[in-house]
Amino acid sequence: MRKPWRMVALATLVVVLVIALTPYLWLLMTSFKTRLDALADAPVWLFTPTLEHYPMVFLDKGYLPLVGNSLIVAGVTTALSLAIGVPAAYVFARHDFAGKEDLFFFFLTTRMAPPISVVVPMFLFFGYVGLIDTRTSVILAHSTFNLSLVVWMMRGFFADIPREIDEAAQMDGHTRTGMFLRVLLPLAAPGMAATAVLCFILSWNEFLYALILVAFESRTLTVGIPGLVTPHGTLWGQVAAVAVVATLPIIVFTFLVQRHLVRGLTFGAVKG
Amino acid sequence: MAVAFRNVTKVFPDGTVALDGFELTFETGEFVVLLGPSGSGKTTACRILAGLEPATSGRIEVGGRDITDLPPRERGMSMVFQNYALYAHKSVYDNIAYPLRVRGVPKQEIDGRVRDTARLLQIDELMGRRPGQLSGGQAQRVAVARALVWQPDICLMDEPLSNLDAILRLQTRTELKRLHAELKTTFVFVTHDQEEAMTLGTRIAVLKDGSLVQFDTPREIYHRPASRFVAEFIGRPAMNVIDGAIAGGRFRADGLELALPGRADQAVGLGIRPEHILLHGRPKEGAQAFRLDVKELVEPDMLLFVRRGALALVVRTKADLAGLDALEPGAEVHLELPGERLHLFDAASGLRQP
Repeated sequence: MRKPWRMVALATLVVVLVIALTPYLWLLMTSFKTRLDALADAPVWLFTPTLEHYPMVFLDKGYLPLVGNSLIVAGVTTALSLAIGVPAAYVFARHDFAGKEDLFFFFLTTRMAPPISVVVPMFLFFGYVGLIDTRTSVILAHSTFNLSLVVWMMRGFFADIPREIDEAAQMDGHTRTGMFLRVLLPLAAPGMAATAVLCFILSWNEFLYALILVAFESRTLTVGIPGLVTPHGTLWGQVAAVAVVATLPIIVFTFLVQRHLVRGLTFGAVKG
Repeated sequence: MAVAFRNVTKVFPDGTVALDGFELTFETGEFVVLLGPSGSGKTTACRILAGLEPATSGRIEVGGRDITDLPPRERGMSMVFQNYALYAHKSVYDNIAYPLRVRGVPKQEIDGRVRDTARLLQIDELMGRRPGQLSGGQAQRVAVARALVWQPDICLMDEPLSNLDAILRLQTRTELKRLHAELKTTFVFVTHDQEEAMTLGTRIAVLKDGSLVQFDTPREIYHRPASRFVAEFIGRPAMNVIDGAIAGGRFRADGLELALPGRADQAVGLGIRPEHILLHGRPKEGAQAFRLDVKELVEPDMLLFVRRGALALVVRTKADLAGLDALEPGAEVHLELPGERLHLFDAASGLRQP
């Protein structure tokens, strides 16, 4: 690239970064500001940091178990979606059966309805089977939208593996199950890692289903935040503290699988 | 021990008939080549033998035992794929060792066998590499090593040389012949390349439209092709076949007349290989005059494309034949078609006449 263009590209990058990171920086700062500083009319950039919000919200107000809930919900949702979705994606990639593409499209349509339209019947259903206010209900709800994601992404990854690999594995002495577990899964592992991270993030961030389905002990972290909007005003410092903690696993995971994530998002689903 | 296809038919879901009552029996220890044009069913036959594709009907037998419904792993066969199908996430060593591990060979035995096989294929220097770091020829050798390391009864090869460049293909061809001589393993080799088939096979099965046309030694296939199809498929350039009819002991075609004593009156195709036509500089008893159209030099040979009316023939001769250089397009040449080199094919069925 010629030098002037390089400068333009760099400048653009800086602008985009500022736009993208300023809110996060704001959030981070707010979590260390006193109530007075947080509500100041003119934004305060230099302030004496306070550490009161974190112990206040997580220990005194008992928000720490909510982190556990979120971890359990997102973790189990991811595991469940992969356990069902990965074998299904393999079948979509390798086998032909009547109505295959229709069924595949049907998986996608499950994501087309606005969640709010599904959440009421879901609430009634979970109430009927006695699962309201349990992590199980949230896990099942989150699995519904994650399953279609897994099937769509993983089909592409399996399709990228040449069919001859399946056959070579069988000639080498594997049963069909052995071939899938021992040869194809390791080959699809990078794609699975990317898919898993995406599943985890979507479940971790999800608010609506969790808000409707759980109210007390089983609350996830996102559902906990509105509880900090009190009749005496919003506790911005504590909201920010919870939000900062809520973003941590996502930042960590994204950096861990950054390379695969980009590949997974651009190739995986499209190629299927 | 005999390996047999018994009346095997394969119809794909889209209605394509890949094999149609296919029959073939060969002995273990042979180097069998399945040869045919694309769509002839040769790959399907190989895959059905491997168990990778179920037959629609018919049976596969090995040593009299019906193995039609056995899964691939229980057939004692290995396979080399056209694109090699190496495990990209494993090293060369682990690729070769893999079938031994899967088949539960004791650990202390694995290393020795992997190294022996690698040495046999001259890839012992590459053991630590990944398939992505190998050239086509090296990947091909690794694939062959993986197929031979556990000493299967039969090693199947589906067009294994077609992804290699010309020189490497020749070298690998020779290597395979050496391997077969050394190991005595049964090889079933699928190809559409008649030259590969002729050089490698102890016997060649020629397929057309899902059926076996001829199963013979390369020599027999060359000298006594069972049908016009085989005759034209084997040998480059292809055999000249002239459509005509025999009447009263003479063969007559548009632009050619030949004495063929002792033959019944019938419509036939008269075949002669380009390399069996004798070229004469001047008129000779029994030789026919043709006009030279094009000369092509294929050292050490020369191809002459000649015409006589509507009749066009190809002649293959030594390039250093006296007087050949003086021949210019348009010149008259005299061709002799020796009687013992002629093949007669039925005009309707294309089958060889005895």
